[in-house]
Parts: sequence; C-alpha cells; structure tokens
Amino acid sequence: MKALKQKKLLRKLLLQHRSNNRLWVSLLALCVGTTLLLLAVMIWWNFAEVLSGKRDKDSLGSTFLTIGKNITKETMKVKGSSLFTPKEIEIMKGAPQVQSVGELTSNRFPVWAELNTSVSFQTQMFVEGVPDEFIDKKPDDWRWEAGSRQVPIIISSDFLNLYNYGFALSQNLPQLSPQTIQSLAFDLKIGDGLNTELYTAHIVGFSDRINSVLVPQSFIEYGNNKFAPVKLFAPSRLIVKVKDPSDKNFVDFLKTRDYTTNSEQLRWNKLRSVIDITASATGILAILLMGISTLVFILFIELTIAKAAASLSLLLQLGYSPRYLRMFMFRRFLPLVFIALSLAMGIAFIVQARAAEALKVQNLELATEPGWPVWTALGISAFILFAFVSGAIYKAMRVRS
Amino acid sequence: MRLSLEQLIPIPLKDKISEYNSRVWNQDIIINAGEKIFIQAPSGTGKTTLIHFLTRLRTDYEGKIHWSAYDMNTVKPEQLSQLRASYISTIYQDLRLFPKLTAWENLEVKRRLTNTVSEHDAEKWMDRLGIKHKMNSLASTMSYGEQQRLAIVRAMLQPFEWLLMDEPFSHLDHANTQKAIGLINEVVQLNNAGLILADLEDNDYFTYTRKLLL
Repeated sequence: MKALKQKKLLRKLLLQHRSNNRLWVSLLALCVGTTLLLLAVMIWWNFAEVLSGKRDKDSLGSTFLTIGKNITKETMKVKGSSLFTPKEIEIMKGAPQVQSVGELTSNRFPVWAELNTSVSFQTQMFVEGVPDEFIDKKPDDWRWEAGSRQVPIIISSDFLNLYNYGFALSQNLPQLSPQTIQSLAFDLKIGDGLNTELYTAHIVGFSDRINSVLVPQSFIEYGNNKFAPVKLFAPSRLIVKVKDPSDKNFVDFLKTRDYTTNSEQLRWNKLRSVIDITASATGILAILLMGISTLVFILFIELTIAKAAASLSLLLQLGYSPRYLRMFMFRRFLPLVFIALSLAMGIAFIVQARAAEALKVQNLELATEPGWPVWTALGISAFILFAFVSGAIYKAMRVRS
Repeated sequence: MRLSLEQLIPIPLKDKISEYNSRVWNQDIIINAGEKIFIQAPSGTGKTTLIHFLTRLRTDYEGKIHWSAYDMNTVKPEQLSQLRASYISTIYQDLRLFPKLTAWENLEVKRRLTNTVSEHDAEKWMDRLGIKHKMNSLASTMSYGEQQRLAIVRAMLQPFEWLLMDEPFSHLDHANTQKAIGLINEVVQLNNAGLILADLEDNDYFTYTRKLLL
C-alpha cells in the first residue's frame, strides 16, 4: 500500500467541509477592496507628484509662477519701484509653500535684432535671463560662454501663437511652424554707438512657463556688466517654484504684498479639491469593502474550523501538536490573502505604468512604478489582514484544543 | 517513565467512591516503568474515566497524576502532544477512528506523525489481525470487531513507553483476541514498554505484575 502524505490526509480531515464559493467571493472582494485602496493612494500620490513638479520634464506649470509687482499710478511715478530688492527676495524665499525662487534678469543694454535677407528687418528688443532649473523645456544646446558668437534663444509659446493667429493673418504674412522658426538665424547686435558686438541668434525652443524672450543667464550677465550704464541689476520679475500654488496662505501672501501672477495658474486648486475628495471617497469605500471581505473570510475560516472540530480534537488526542495544526491552517489560508494582495499590487503596477504612458503624450512624467505611499498602504493592509486572519485562526484553534 | 497517582478522585464519583474499597481511587500509587498492570473495574466504577484522566482527555478530578516529570494538572499543550505522540499510546474503548477515512488512511494519520514504523510493518500487522482486505474500506463501514483490530494496529504505530488499553478485546472472538495479544506483546517488548489494561472481568491476557481493583 502506498504511503500517504500527511498533509493530504489533514486536508481531507480538516478542509472537507468548505463552501468554496463563499471563500472565492470574499477573496475577490478583498482583492477589489485592496486594489481600490491602492488606486486611491496612487491617484493622490501621482497628483501630488505632478503638482510639486519634482521631475525635470514636468511642465504642468502650476508649480512655477512668475511673480511681478503690480504697476499702479503711484508706482509709475517712482523709477525702479517695480524691481525686487534683495530683502523682498529673501522674504519671498520664506513665503508659505515656496520651494525656490529664481530671478528674471532683463537686459540693461540695447539689443537689436536684424534680419539681412531679401527683406531687411531691424527691431530693438528685450531679452531676459533666468537660472536654468526654472526652464521647462531646456534644449541640449542651451549654453553661452564669453567669446561664443552663437546665442540660443527661447521664446514663449504665446509669442508664436500671437504671431501665427494674430499678426501674420492681419498682415497677410506667412504662418510659421516651430520647426521653421528654429531653422532661422538672425543677427543680434548689443551695445550702443561704436561700442557694439554682433552675434548670431537661433530660437532653440519655446516655453509654456515663462512669458519672455530668454537667453542664457551668462549672456545677460556679460552684457549687463559690459554695456549697462548702471551696475544695479535688480530683477523685475521672479519665478517661484511652489509646492501647492492653491494654498490659501500663499495666495494671501501675494495679495497683501500686491504682487501679480497669472491667476490661471492657480486653477489647479479646484482640481486638487476634486482629486482629494475622489481619492478620499474611493479610499473609504475601499476600506469598507476590505473590512467586509475580511469579516466574511474570517467567518469562513471559523466555520471551517468549527466543522472540523471532531477531527481536530481526535488529531490532538493522537498526538498532533496544536502548533503544527495551527501552522497547517495558517499555510492553508494566509497564502490566499497573500495572493489577493499580490493581485491588487499587480493591478496597481499595470495602472501606474499605463497612466505614465498615457500622460507622457501630454509631456507629463509620472513614475512607471507605484511609489512609496502605495507600498506603505499595501504594507499596512497586509499587516492588519495577516494579524486579523492569524488571530482568528489562533483563537478558533485554541477553543478546539 | 514512572506513573504516580496521588489521592486521585473523580469529582463525579466522589460520593460513590467512599462506599467501596478501591485500590486506585483516593490512594497513593506508584507504577514503575515496564510494569504490566491489570485494573479490574466493575461497571460504573470509573474505568474509562481513569484512562481519560491518564491521557488528559478529562480533567474533572482531584489529586495528582504524574508521568515522571510531567504533571498532568499543569502540562502544557505542546508537552501533552509530545506525551501522546511518543510516550503513551492508547486503545480507547470507543476506538476513536476517523469514520470518513479508509482503514489504511486511519493508520497513516498515526504512522506519519512519528514515522517510526514502516508501512510494510503496518501492512503486515493488519494482515496478522485479519483486516488487510479492509484496507480501502471506510472505517465507518467496518464491523465493530474490525474497527477494534484497526484501533489496536493504530496504537502500535508510534514509539511508546506505556500502552493504555480500555476493554481492547471486547468485540473480538477468542482467536482474534489471541492474535491481538500476540501482536501487542511483541510490540510492547520491542518498545521495552509497560502496559495498563482496564477491563470488567479478571483475565490473564498478559503476564501482569500487579492486579488492582478499581
């Protein structure tokens, strides 16, 4: 006669009275509940990540605000009153939600753009410089060193739109694609009178974040040092990276100091509230679902143990140790919880990867894997579930032995 | 392993015990390792109760029971399972088989616990007691005599220092009883163990070292 495996015999004795449907339904509900919980955390985390703009390529724009001083009748009379003093910049750095502050430095020297083609064209213009980390789409060739004759320029996307949809149509001029503009070169003359320098300028990119004509900061500093009549280069605008632009304290700070910014950039406030409510509601629903499914799962375990009470008792009389039988039950039920949680985490991985892929098209970069809050939520759920299920098995078995 | 009983009194029989002269209840008794004890117990004197006390299936008693260092009043569940698996084997009066398992599965549940007896020996012993042909029958479908023989074989499938038996041959004819006694004697000797047999009538199934009236 063939020897029989002990575990097979125990399964036959202890797990024969199962109503599998109840087990699978409770596990499915547990899996769905955990998935919902992880998704709720994921939505909240992803939105917070995008909003705080930790990633280089982030261009949601909401976290970078261009701040200027309000120009009023009174300030118009005082020269330089719209400039930011070092003290004001320091205060801005300490303002609520502010993570970093960059100065938009404008040229204090004459700048001329000249186009010497079949149609000669010349115009005076302004340029500004900003620290590189505040530029949303920094091209690879974004640099300038003293002695270089080539100057890269980034212009606001709005300027191109204004030209294409406003100026070009009204003047019967050709509309220009970004690629066409980038292929054009024009001369940039800086300085006055006989003391001038000539450079070749290229538009290398378009910014959605900063409404200006940007050149590398080193170029502005060089020009200001060499050609500016005064050596005071206080910035007229600041670019500020804020954690949550919709924060009331931050908005109040701007109001009390009479600073201006693009109010449209605060629009994420409403969206954030919606996301918070959605994530919280989903989270609460998920916890409820998990609670109910865990309860059903535990009741199932207790029922299984209760139905196997006679066999359990006899096994103990034959010399089976309570610890061994408990472990047998743990091994039977805990892996099911593990599988349900793993499935939920697997779904979270897929959703995160898909979301990252979908948002990439919109030039928003999300992590391709769930972040630490999702793992933390999973860890806490797993700990609580394992504790409850183990506790239920321990208690039910102790009553039988 | 030495068994000592100190003033053992079953609570449900407390009043009744004082009416007759028991050599076990309310006595101090020491039974040394390897002894063969017969306990003669007329109906209602607590024969099965005693066996249940010795294996801690019941605890409604006063007094003390010690299996060497194991105090049965305070023994922990894990120690108790160790005692039952490796030191004390029992043939219960009500047999305590798993009705929904086959005869062979019933033996395997016990044999697999310690793996000290080979499946070949188990099969041989079944054959010896004439129940090999019932190997694949559910225990619940076997006659009581067959079940009793199955319970006897099962009790042999573990190492033990003591074999406790409660009316082990009550449903066996003379020939089958002799076969069972032969097997038990052989395995008890192999384990260098002692035995305690409780029954209604006096008998000489084994070479007892002591006979006690319950």
